[in-house]
Amino acid sequence: MTVSNVVDQYTVLTGDRSKIKDLLCNRLIECGWRDEVRLLCRNILLEKGGNNSITVEQLITEVTPKARTLVPDAVKMDLLMKIRTILAENDADI
Amino acid sequence: MAANPNPLGSVPLASSAQMPPATQNPAFPTAAAIVNNFRELIKDPKTLDDAANYLYQTLLDDAVAGIFIETHHLRKTGNLSALDGVVEDNAESTYRICEMPNLDIFGISTAKKPMDCTCPNCDRLVAAARFAPHLEKCMGMGRISSRIASRRLATKEGTSASSSSSSTYLQSGGNTGGTDDEDDVDWSSDKRKKKSTQNSRNNGSKKNNGKTF
Repeated sequence: MTVSNVVDQYTVLTGDRSKIKDLLCNRLIECGWRDEVRLLCRNILLEKGGNNSITVEQLITEVTPKARTLVPDAVKMDLLMKIRTILAENDADI
Repeated sequence: MAANPNPLGSVPLASSAQMPPATQNPAFPTAAAIVNNFRELIKDPKTLDDAANYLYQTLLDDAVAGIFIETHHLRKTGNLSALDGVVEDNAESTYRICEMPNLDIFGISTAKKPMDCTCPNCDRLVAAARFAPHLEKCMGMGRISSRIASRRLATKEGTSASSSSSSTYLQSGGNTGGTDDEDDVDWSSDKRKKKSTQNSRNNGSKKNNGKTF
């Protein structure tokens, strides 16, 4: 069983997944990342706008790498640390 | 990687009860198996880091996908252009703030305008600053109009002294054939009228009262 499988299943089981997701989303909105990505999407859509050729899948493959690099380093470190502590403290609880 | 078969096979779970325990499907492990796997995983700090990284990446991708779908939805429903808005050319002229002396920001003169109010009682135009005192006098309140007030008070006292107060009051109204307002205007006639009522009371006969009715 792979790491991803185990982590997915465990976090869904204990309900940590939604907790971490909320944390992440809030943090990303706070630092303005969400708006940046939205702007990126808009710009790409405007570039290719005329014809309705671009699909969501295309957009995702195009923008996801950029979006990942857009996350500020401080925020990324902070989030990783928080996720780690949440996972670790779960171990202590059980 | 095959999942290690659940070592605590006796854990009572609905999913494990449904399927035969001998053929534990790796795709559907029990809750206990998941917990055990996870515990083993995070014993190693390196894999813990991996797990955290993985979780972070996954959730980040989720967030990105959320934004994509939102944008896509906006575009398909035509709301994306609505977000951009329309450039307003004439906004400058319409909403410009006026900075001339003696004019407020809307370009209207700040000079004081004479404000007049119409008195609801006597329909006269009264300056706003004088309206409250006028109304006080006009409606017969306060000290200044004590003439009317005292007269009213006297009327009341005089009538209440008699046994048939209500009847005399009606009588006076009947004599003049007018309303209270008319009484206010003419003071002397009222005085006379009061005297007449006094006289009738002095006669003190019910007959008299009946006559006037």
